[in-house]
Amino acid sequence: MIKFDKVSKIYKDDYIALENINLEIKAGEFVSIVGTSGAGKSTILKLIYAEEAPTDGRVFFAEKPLDSISRRHISRHRRSIGTVFQDFKLLNKKTAFENVAYALEVCGVSREEILEDVPQILEIVGLGDRQNKFPHELSGGEQQRVAMARALIHKPLVIIADEPTGNLDPVSSLEIMQLLLKINKLGTTVVLASHDRDIINKAAKRVITLEKGRIICDEEKGKYKIC
Amino acid sequence: MFLTIGRTIKGGWNNFFRNGYLSIAAVSVMLLCLFTMSSLYLIVLTADSVLAGMQGNVNVSVYFKASVSEESILKAKKDLENYSEIKTVDYITKEKALEIFKKNSASKPVILQSLEEIGENPLLSYLVIQANDPNQYDMVGEYLKNASFKDDISWVNYRDNKDRIDRLNKTISEVRKIGLGVAGLFSIISLLIISNTVRITIYTHRKEVEVMRLVGASNTYIRLPFIFEGIIYGLVASIISMLFLYVSLRLSAQFTLRLVPTVDMVSLYLSNFAVIFGMQILVGAFLGTVSSWFAIRKYLKI
Ligand SMILES: Nc1ncnc2c1ncn2[C@@H]1O[C@H](COP(=O)(O)OP(=O)(O)O)[C@@H](O)[C@H]1O
Ligand SMILES: [Mg+2]
Repeated sequence: MIKFDKVSKIYKDDYIALENINLEIKAGEFVSIVGTSGAGKSTILKLIYAEEAPTDGRVFFAEKPLDSISRRHISRHRRSIGTVFQDFKLLNKKTAFENVAYALEVCGVSREEILEDVPQILEIVGLGDRQNKFPHELSGGEQQRVAMARALIHKPLVIIADEPTGNLDPVSSLEIMQLLLKINKLGTTVVLASHDRDIINKAAKRVITLEKGRIICDEEKGKYKIC
Repeated sequence: MFLTIGRTIKGGWNNFFRNGYLSIAAVSVMLLCLFTMSSLYLIVLTADSVLAGMQGNVNVSVYFKASVSEESILKAKKDLENYSEIKTVDYITKEKALEIFKKNSASKPVILQSLEEIGENPLLSYLVIQANDPNQYDMVGEYLKNASFKDDISWVNYRDNKDRIDRLNKTISEVRKIGLGVAGLFSIISLLIISNTVRITIYTHRKEVEVMRLVGASNTYIRLPFIFEGIIYGLVASIISMLFLYVSLRLSAQFTLRLVPTVDMVSLYLSNFAVIFGMQILVGAFLGTVSSWFAIRKYLKI
């Protein structure tokens, strides 16, 4: 599904964020990327959803090299990826329903389809009864679930979660993690960046450990640890 | 497709209203630009029509000696009509000349009375020559000097407005230049102010833009509301400018009619309404689009 072939990323000011990364993630996998802050986790994720381009090497998505996608078609690529972040990125003036609907609206989906799909997806993330609440009326965990619903609305092949539990209490974190596992069970590939030791260990899935832009450890059924 | 256009126009419309006083500034400066431009256009139209009137008034009258027969005058008329520079030659008989003279002197009974006393028609027959172009009257003068009938001519009267025409022509081109300069300056100012306004819109909508990119909205979809915002500034400004123009023409009608009695600027405006409005909409929308485009290119990272 996702392949990194000798990928390096050097930001301006010659800062080496990633160095010679080789990595393959298969369809349906659940992969956690762990490492200290500044290790390059977010950079790996950004390369996948084409927010950044590699300085060296190539990134493949569904067999296709991303550098072959024209700027015009990047948006279509992004629709096959759902993204979730630490800061939720919800629009404060829109209700839970409207926040999710927005993702469809801006992609030209009709009103009828929106009215059909959005309540369904909110039901799946467990917010069936809170559709008309504004973000400030929802708890952090609930806000993150709205963000999850928005990420899922295009029925993506891959969910990318960049420290989704970073702002949440342990209980909510666990709920979000369980939701990610459920989505994965339903067939969606999940790539999670986190330094939340507890939830990574509970998942008992593949763990890739990054340190200073290099992969130092890649284990099936791994634990969060220092290799 | 329609959905996209509908949603993005609505976005642009909302941006326009939510920007408050910034929108007002953007519209005002665009208004200044369009108003200057169309006023200039109207002034030039007026001046052109005055000029055309004056050019029609330029002519040369050739008076023939009283002894010359009508036949010779008609022959001279034919000769003159052969020159390509000459547009028309009118033959005014003595009798006709007397009629015109009487009509012109209707308010001066003394003159009419003395005419009665003379008892016979003291006036001469003449030809009125109009050239195609006011610059060609020198030529016509040459022809007359060398004409076969030059000995039949009593005298030649040049009703020559050439100096005044030249001066007016010069003024018109001056007005054009200054007006274009001022309109150009205002265009640049509107460009700057509108792109700055759109930049601020982009800034206040940065979160929406980020979300749109993440959920895979197309670049066009993300950009269109900002483009429409720019176009709306142009459209609103051109509508207000049309109103302003009409009102100011009405208010100044008294003054302009005294200044230029031959041209009614209000009806000139009304008969050119479509052209002026169309021109303003085009220029307004164009400036709006270009300004938004600048702002988007510079500040909207997609
Ligand atoms: N846009 C950027 N420009 C310059 N340096 C950056 C940029 N983004 C990230 N970095 C640097 O790259 C390194 C890796 O960042 P990141 O991938 O965000 O790490 P992590 O998510 O693991 O904390 C950091 O040291 C960060 O300062
Ligand atoms: Mg990070």
